[in-house]
Amino acid sequence: MNRFLMGGMLAVLGALQAPAQNQAQNQNPAQITVAFSNPSQPRKLVVKTMMHRVSIKGYDGKDAIVESSAISERRRRERSIPPGMHPLNVGGGGIEVTEANNVVTVSAESMFGGGDIQIQVPVETSVMVNTLNNGVNVENISGEIDVESVNGPVSITNSSGAVLATSVNGKVTVALDKVAPGKAMSFSTMNGTIDVTLPADIKANLKMKVDNGDVYTDFDVKVTNDTFDTAQSNTGRGVRIRGNKTTYGTINGGGPEMQFTTFNGRILIHKK
Amino acid sequence: MAEVSGGKVARLAVLFERYHRPLFRYFVSMNGNREQAEDLVQEVFFRMLRYRTSYDPAQSFTAWMYQIARNAGVDQVRKRGTAQVVDIDTFVDRRAELVSASPGPEESASRVQDLALLRRAMDQLPEDKREILVLSRFQGMKHEDIAEVLGCEVGTVKVRVYRAIRALEQIYFTLEKEKAS
Amino acid sequence: MTCEEAKTRMTDYWSRTLGEAGETEFNAHLASCEACQSEVSRVGALWQGLDLLPLEEPSGKVRDRFYEMLGAYRQGLAAAEAPPAKRWWSMPAWQLAAAAGLVAVGLGIGYGVRGNGQPPAEVSQLREEVANMRQLVALSLMQQQSASDRLRGVSWAYRAEPSDREVLGALVSAVNHDANVNVRLAAVDALRRFSASPETSRAALQSLSKQTTPIVQAALIDLLVELKDPEAAPELRRLSGSETANEGVRQKAQWALERLQ
Repeated sequence: MNRFLMGGMLAVLGALQAPAQNQAQNQNPAQITVAFSNPSQPRKLVVKTMMHRVSIKGYDGKDAIVESSAISERRRRERSIPPGMHPLNVGGGGIEVTEANNVVTVSAESMFGGGDIQIQVPVETSVMVNTLNNGVNVENISGEIDVESVNGPVSITNSSGAVLATSVNGKVTVALDKVAPGKAMSFSTMNGTIDVTLPADIKANLKMKVDNGDVYTDFDVKVTNDTFDTAQSNTGRGVRIRGNKTTYGTINGGGPEMQFTTFNGRILIHKK
Repeated sequence: MAEVSGGKVARLAVLFERYHRPLFRYFVSMNGNREQAEDLVQEVFFRMLRYRTSYDPAQSFTAWMYQIARNAGVDQVRKRGTAQVVDIDTFVDRRAELVSASPGPEESASRVQDLALLRRAMDQLPEDKREILVLSRFQGMKHEDIAEVLGCEVGTVKVRVYRAIRALEQIYFTLEKEKAS
Repeated sequence: MTCEEAKTRMTDYWSRTLGEAGETEFNAHLASCEACQSEVSRVGALWQGLDLLPLEEPSGKVRDRFYEMLGAYRQGLAAAEAPPAKRWWSMPAWQLAAAAGLVAVGLGIGYGVRGNGQPPAEVSQLREEVANMRQLVALSLMQQQSASDRLRGVSWAYRAEPSDREVLGALVSAVNHDANVNVRLAAVDALRRFSASPETSRAALQSLSKQTTPIVQAALIDLLVELKDPEAAPELRRLSGSETANEGVRQKAQWALERLQ
């Protein structure tokens, strides 16, 4: 920077140039609040946990607020360290919350511990979650939602972003009230029902595959492949499509691709 | 672009990925309306596609692109009547929200005001001064290219950039005084 | 250097484009001229400030519209001037060209459609252009940060020419390396477009030995059965007996072995 530059304005500007990393402590000992360093740029939340159950809610604010009993527990423990000493034992359900380049990362990778982690972020944040056990719940988010769970259900509600959700063992439930046009989505499980609710006027190309189970829908789906026998029967509550392999179809004339894949489980596609 | 004019229209896609964002920002700085800016970006690429054979490979690509951009902007104003009247205050307040950031409670308040004020000063600059500032500061264009786009001498460009930033300064400090009183 | 000259060089000075000699000269002038010194620092603060203003980002619609326009334009109608009324992805390219035409309209005012054919002489060239464009879109989307964009890239890849080795390569790479399970799954499915290529089967088999996500393994097994590749048998046998593999995957591997017999 030019050594001639000085002045009041610059002092303020100088402060701005330092990357923002802030972990302010609230009144609530179980909470950590972290700010996004560049609020005018797209925000992202990344969550990686093993044993904790994750709950993410969009709220009307600017920061990421992470709450968990593990946080208050850790603070309590930190306060009780005898002066001059440090703890030797590893583990204890630690949670780390960091921010860099507008990405807030919450990780709880310990094999021990458990409990809930509740995170609040601005509604317009894209969210990426990777968990092992106990499942994920996402509510009121309009950014891209990318969830991977091994054992545990995935639930996404009241949201409008593009959704990619997968679990090995666990039900995937998704309810979207409106969807930004042009977004491709995908839902997959190995063992578990896929239950998706989409806006009635959505335009999409569907691709549905079930090994053991059936597809049910109350949408008017135009099945477009005839390479194998698809039996469509009216069950009174909607249409049941049974096929051997992948079924392709369109809703409302077609649009971006929505992929539904399960091995053991049913696929339910509801019209909102 | 020479490749595009050679018929490989698909190469335009590469140019799109590279230039559509700066182009969008140029239009937003000029007319403040995001939707119109998006329409204009589309129009510029369409015209580049259509008139690709008229591109002279010896010419700087960005200069050619911005010439088309300016023409498209003018055409849009003509088509829609007077330039979009953007309510400066709501426009600026929205940006102030975008700008407000985190650490340091006292600092953040004044910092928000400074950048919002700066944005406001930019918006109050006369169009030609704002444009040359956008082209040189935000689009990072070389003086020679700007000269080509605006159709003037390189020396003139330098003087005009200087005058533009001085004008910005005047407006900024006037706004600051107004706010203080 | 006079004050006049210094004024016009200020912005170059801040952008560091004066060059060493130029900068030395400029600094020398500033050292001897208080007026210029104060101006440079005051105005310079503003100049730096401009850099801190937040950048506007366009919405995803801009890209969508651009690629539609590019495609529609290459559908070969000389009068092409506006994006098509129907969505790109719901119609095979040649149907679109045959069925609809484009009419010149102003920006964003509306779309019109009139029936039109297309010049037969240009068909093969157009075909190549469209294929190139699809390839570009697929490859470009598959590189994006957003998993949803990569997913779309894979569906574009499904529409590429079966002989397109670059797209095949990108798909194989996605199957093996994409961080997102759903993208990998979609990529496996898209490989069916390239079933004529011997590399596809080899890549699928290799992938199977490396994948650990059960649903992707299941999809690869289905693909291998469809490709009727007997070389898959040893790997399938290993999987069907593996204690670490998911129960469903083991069942599937067993079924696949029987089918390939």
